[in-house]
Parts: sequence; structure tokens; C-alpha cells
Amino acid sequence: MIVAEHLTKKYPTRAGPPHWVLRDVNFTIPPRLSVGILGKNGAGKSTLLRIIAGTDHPTSGMVRRDVRVSWPVGFGGGLQGSLTGRQNAKFVCRIQGRESEADEIMQRMQDFAEIGTAFDEPVKTYSSGMKARLQFAMSLAFEFDVYISDEVTAVGDANFRKKALAHFQSLVGKAGLIMVSHNEQTLKDYCKAGLLLHEGQAYWYDEIGDAIDAYKAKSAT
Amino acid sequence: MSGRSSTHIMLSVWKALLLREATFRLFGTRAAWAWLLLEPLSHFAFLTFLFAIVRQRVVGGIDVAIWLILGLIGFFTFRRTANQMGGAIDSNLALFTYRQVLPFDAIVVRGVLEGLIMLVAFILVTLVMALIGYDVVPDRPLMVLGGFFGLWLLGGSLGLAVAVGGVIVEETRQIFSMLMMPLYFISGVIFPLSAVPPQYREILMLNPVVHGVEAMRAGFSTYYHASDGLDLSYLYLCALCLLALGLTLYTRFAKAIETT
Repeated sequence: MIVAEHLTKKYPTRAGPPHWVLRDVNFTIPPRLSVGILGKNGAGKSTLLRIIAGTDHPTSGMVRRDVRVSWPVGFGGGLQGSLTGRQNAKFVCRIQGRESEADEIMQRMQDFAEIGTAFDEPVKTYSSGMKARLQFAMSLAFEFDVYISDEVTAVGDANFRKKALAHFQSLVGKAGLIMVSHNEQTLKDYCKAGLLLHEGQAYWYDEIGDAIDAYKAKSAT
Repeated sequence: MSGRSSTHIMLSVWKALLLREATFRLFGTRAAWAWLLLEPLSHFAFLTFLFAIVRQRVVGGIDVAIWLILGLIGFFTFRRTANQMGGAIDSNLALFTYRQVLPFDAIVVRGVLEGLIMLVAFILVTLVMALIGYDVVPDRPLMVLGGFFGLWLLGGSLGLAVAVGGVIVEETRQIFSMLMMPLYFISGVIFPLSAVPPQYREILMLNPVVHGVEAMRAGFSTYYHASDGLDLSYLYLCALCLLALGLTLYTRFAKAIETT
């Protein structure tokens, strides 16, 4: 379960008055539920996601987590170009404290990414598609209670996208997903509930369809 | 919750970062490990050449080659450690997306790695000197190591302060690099401080780097005429004060540092 209590985040601005991204936001995400976060550009979706993932601090308030939360699925900044896919993968196994099972986990990554022998080549030689596949596989090879995704579920070619979707659907009931996306279809495919961010406030919807409708109504006004 | 203790997480992150960073530093580019040695060695070659031209074979009672090697290794340990640690946050920004990796981990690991690299370089150079026929057995080995370790600690403390300072005031690193150049010349690394008139030397002795460099030489040979006022504890005092400053700044600005 992830509980946000009186979550507030503001950024200083040059003009003087701070920019309030989140203002006293409260919500509870039950275990194993997939939630889509909606909102306009700059509404604070990514900020909220980072706070949930524990890599950003709120100005006040807090997020309580009693589950293992992933890093953003498909996150790629951490790849060191001159190291091989395997070396990068091993690094992630180590920081996750799973070094003893690293071989197994890396086998899963290799199978999922389907990049063949390139796994043992330096990452800088990868095409962008191969890189995306590796990044995706790196996240999914670990069993988290909640996966986090920021606009990157649509990577790779059509086949790979299908595989990724199938993988997430196989996780339904086993793990939760919190994702940010502007794509209506993606949200409907992946998510059950919705959280709409609008002018610093968060609105919870049990059905993603309702959240999308509300989002459209809010952005129309 | 993963059920790992904070210490456990920190140690596995340190191990992961150290191995990753070491692989990159040593094998990231073609013969990267050779370039690590080449920088101090090129300075050494050039300076021995200069001293050969002026026909100076002995400085302060020890062979000029030994004098230079000890000074250069000591100073480069200090400078590289400070440099590497100072840039640790910027070059590892992407890794902080993994919740387990904190800027502090990246800074510490870089310092440890740099110390290890310089220690290996030191040993290698000593072995080569021994092969060429120099007497490389120091009279007081602990004093040599004390100077070396002190310079590493000073560099590390400075590096931590620079890394943290860089988050608070962006220009910190530029100012730091500007100061490093003159420091090379006034630390008695390539220019013996005994040639400086006493009234000015006293001022130069305020620089803690001098004490580390001179201690390494004095430890090598009891016959070495070190600069007056050589005091290894002064180096350690400076290093620990800087370390306290760096840690305090880090704690105070932890939130800002960890959200960069």
C-alpha cells in the first residue's frame, strides 16, 4: 500500500512567489492495483512519480510505502556506454542486493530483451531500440510489488510492445503499476484506476475511463 | 519493504559503484589504465629532463629522481582525489534514479578508488625504480605512508567539500580548478621550498600539502633536509577540519543535494 499524506511540493521561481505543484495531496493506492496518473504538462505527474519512487523529497507531507517500488520502468540514464549490457545489468543486481541471484536475473533479462549476443557488447554499440529493450528487461527482471512507469511503455517495435503489454497483464493481481501517460489507449490498456492532477490537487477515480473523461472536461474549461 | 538494513544497502551500493567505476576507469577506453600512469610519468620525465639541464642531481640531500617521484605521487594523489570526488555528483546524476544510490555513495566511492589507483601507481613506480637500480627502501616507511595517506585524506576532504559546494554555489568547481594550478607550484613538488627565503617560506608552510609532500621525502631518507616547520599532524588537522566542514555541509544541504 502506498499512502500519500498532505503531500506538498513547491519550486522556487525567479518571479518570486513559489510555484505550487502539489498542494496538500492525499490519496491511498491499494496493493496490486494499476493506476494511471493524468494531468496537463507541468501538472506535477512526474514529480509525484519521483516522490513515490523515493528519489525526490516533498516540501512537506510524506509518502508511506510498505512495498517494494521499482525505479521508472525503462529508465536508461544509468547505462554506462563503455560497459557491456551484462556489466550494466550486474551493477543493477548489486545495488538491488540480489548479487547472489545475479545469473538467474540476468538470464531473464537476456531472454526478455531478445538482443542475443549483443548482451556482451558495449552498450554504446546498441541501436536505440536495443537499448530500450535492455532497459525494459532490466526493470522487469526484478519482482517488485509496484512498478513505476513514466511515458516509456511504448518503446521498441510492435512485437516488443505487445510482449511488454502481455507481461504487465500477466502481473495483474501480483503486482501494482503506477504510470504516467498522455495516451488514452495506453492508459486504458494498462490501468484500472486513475489519479487526476489538476492545479495542485489530486482526484481519485476507481475507473480509468472516468478519470479520462474528467481530465477532458477539466482541460476543456 | 526489502528488509535490508541501511548499512547493508550502503555497502552493496558501494561495492557496485566501486566495481563499475573501476571497470570504466581501467578498461573504459583503449588502454585506459595506461593513461592513468602516463599523466604523472610525463610530468616526471619532463622535470627530470629540466633538472638534468641545470645539472642538479641532488635536492636537499636525496637524488632528484626520488625527490620528484615522491612529490609528484603525493601531489597527484591529493589533486586527483579532490578532482574526482568534486565531480562525482555531476557524473553520476543518472544513477540517483535508483533510490538506493545516494550522492554521498558516489563521492565516497570515487575517493576510495582514486586512493587505490594512486597506491598501485606508487608501488609500480617504486618497483620500476628498484629495477633501474635505485635504492628504494625508505628509512621510515610509516612516515612515507603517513604523508601519502594524509594527502589522500586532504584531497578527499576537499573533494567532498567541493562536491557539496558545487550544489550550493554552481561556480565552486571552477574556482577549485583555478586554485589547483598555483598550488602545484607553491607546494614544493617541483620547486624546493628550501630555495625560498625564510620569511616567505613561513607563509608557504601554511599550505598543508607541503607537509604531506615533505613528510614523504623525509620519511624516505633521514638525510633529507626537509623544510623547517615540517609537521605531519598539521596536515591531518587541516584534513579533518575540511572533512568536518564537508560532512556538515552535506548534512545541512542533504535535501537539496539528493534532489539534484
